[in-house]
Amino acid sequence: MIFSEIYGLYYKCVEEILKEAVKKNINACDIRQIVRKYAFSESISAVESALLSQKWLLLKGDGKTSIKHAPSIPITKAEKMWLKAILSDRRIKLFDIDIDGLDDTEPLFTENDYCIFDRYGDGDPYDDKEYIKNFKLILNAVRNNRPLKIGIKNRKNMLIEIKMVPEHLEYSEKDDKFRLICRETNKRSVINLGRIVYCETFYGKFTEKKKLEKTVEKQIKIELTNKRNALERAMLHFSHFKKEAVQIDRNKYRLIIYYDSLDETELLIRVLSFGPLLKVTEPDSFIKQIKKRLERQSRFLGVKQEQEQ
Amino acid sequence: MPYNELIKNFENIREYIREFYVYGFKSRREYDKKSSRSYDDARRRIESWLEDYIKFGHTDSGKNFFISVDTRYTFHNPLYRVWKTKSFTDGDITLYFILFDILYSNTVSLTINEIVDKIDSEYLSEFNNAKMFDKSTVRKKLKEYTDAGIITAEKNGKTVYYSRAETLKINCADALNFYSEVAPCGVVGSFLLDRTENYENLISFKHHYITQTLDSEILFKVFIAIKNKSEINITLINKRKNKLKQNGLVPLKVFMSAQSGRQYLMAYRISVKRFVSLRLDRIIDIRETNAADNFDCIRESFEKTRKNIWGVSTYIKDAEKQSVEFTVYFDNNEEYILKRLQREKRCGTVEIKSPNTARFYAEVYDANELLPWIRTFICRITDIKFSNASLQKQFMSDLDEMYKMYGIDRGAVQ
Repeated sequence: MIFSEIYGLYYKCVEEILKEAVKKNINACDIRQIVRKYAFSESISAVESALLSQKWLLLKGDGKTSIKHAPSIPITKAEKMWLKAILSDRRIKLFDIDIDGLDDTEPLFTENDYCIFDRYGDGDPYDDKEYIKNFKLILNAVRNNRPLKIGIKNRKNMLIEIKMVPEHLEYSEKDDKFRLICRETNKRSVINLGRIVYCETFYGKFTEKKKLEKTVEKQIKIELTNKRNALERAMLHFSHFKKEAVQIDRNKYRLIIYYDSLDETELLIRVLSFGPLLKVTEPDSFIKQIKKRLERQSRFLGVKQEQEQ
Repeated sequence: MPYNELIKNFENIREYIREFYVYGFKSRREYDKKSSRSYDDARRRIESWLEDYIKFGHTDSGKNFFISVDTRYTFHNPLYRVWKTKSFTDGDITLYFILFDILYSNTVSLTINEIVDKIDSEYLSEFNNAKMFDKSTVRKKLKEYTDAGIITAEKNGKTVYYSRAETLKINCADALNFYSEVAPCGVVGSFLLDRTENYENLISFKHHYITQTLDSEILFKVFIAIKNKSEINITLINKRKNKLKQNGLVPLKVFMSAQSGRQYLMAYRISVKRFVSLRLDRIIDIRETNAADNFDCIRESFEKTRKNIWGVSTYIKDAEKQSVEFTVYFDNNEEYILKRLQREKRCGTVEIKSPNTARFYAEVYDANELLPWIRTFICRITDIKFSNASLQKQFMSDLDEMYKMYGIDRGAVQ
């Protein structure tokens, strides 16, 4: 069972409070501080009063606890089964893992039990030793904010070298690819890990321009017609974007989607995938791109239709 | 009942969270299925649990409340917090910490009587007028924790000895960070992360559908049923929010979408002898019944149908497969279009017809499922043919409607 109080943040708070209380007498201020860190915005008064009023018989009036050892709770069966399941995943080799004691545990799922049916078929090569080595080096460089020197093949298949400071990795389940978000000396960049030919720590002097251009956040306004369950499909499909939605008529909705300028083409084709059920109303530059595609399409199938007639 | 930040039943909040996150435009008035007090309490709770992600707006029908998460800049699924809100009694939490303090090491092994004596003499006696726990309450709790795998119970003759389960040594924070976001039932990874100190978030996620987690309990039970090769009975909610029961299902596999976040249970329905797909977000209860006969055979025959499934529509006896084919044009410097066809196709074939054209062909159970994907190639489709005439008509009329919508003068462009 997943929905259980033993995984709850109130239990977590009390565990942390008792860890302190076995070391020293604890007061209301200490409790509040811990609750603020671990639980919800309205939890402070509930946890504090339950402990101090001795509804929960764990803290005495003087702030001492009857608990003798710093609490530590064993891992549950569900947690073990989940851990065992991820150990069989093909991407697990990317990570340093040190887990003992799962020999008698059955995995919660195996690759036969589920599939991601619309994931693209050219994911990163997770079994490739060089890829694994690069991934680990990059992850470590991200952790330690250490500059890297990376050789990649560009779209024209030419090898180019980039020196940069890695910021973080980004993973897309749909593409099944990792990308490195980084800062070069004069700009921000995104590098596909699958394109990396070599990767080394850079020990030379790395000077960044003080003000790097920021990622540009753009927005489009869309009018949605709720036919063929388009409302639910679109709201789910675009749910990972920051967005706003308003109902403007019985069957019409207006959406504002905020996106990174680098993702414009992808967003464009995703809007097109809904056909006439989504109409972009702003900005003109985005509408222009849609029109250009439709005009070209009209030429292709228009000719064909005429020939058939 | 006075307001409590914690909740007893997850199902009561599951739909609210989905609505606040996925839709977000509804005002209080439009949540008509429950009382306004239930709406107010749900909203207040969600505001407390997810305060950093709460936004308000104003519409003609009133103020609307919604959850806004830009997942690309959020390293952890904030909705996991919702799974950490289960209510409990004063006795539950008190006993929990006392029991694990008594059984502080796995070398400590005690009977129920010894445990009850220790609770009274070493813990509760320090409080004035403390309510004592009777033996059956303690035994029930120990059973619950034994089922959860955190306590072990061993019989020696007629006496049961309780001790804590062995503490597992795990050191894999980066992997937990990653898999808690991408693996099925990732919320379990989030529970493990709660036990991990000082970890860093080094990986963010693009195209990340976080509402999947709301179905984690159902998904967990589905996996257990598949593992046990059991038949199941389920209760689900249809589009009109009515409860329905479906009995006699053999769960085979879970299909997940990386492009919408939807999850489907693919199952065999014994009464009608056919495969069915059921949305996990519509299932509200699942019960294992008896062992499924021929589980492996049924699963094998399902796998054989996979090559003709584009989305989740499955084989219907005697129904003919539908063919779909289209050709795309790409310029000399646009080979990525060919690559797109090859990497994005889920079944079927891609054939290079000329240096600048390629043809996709597939036979599927439901060609309608391909329409959104085909439309992503608008501006390049030189030829398209569906065996299902109504789909052919729909595709062409949708295109016409788009031309009109954007004021494309077809006479002028031809």
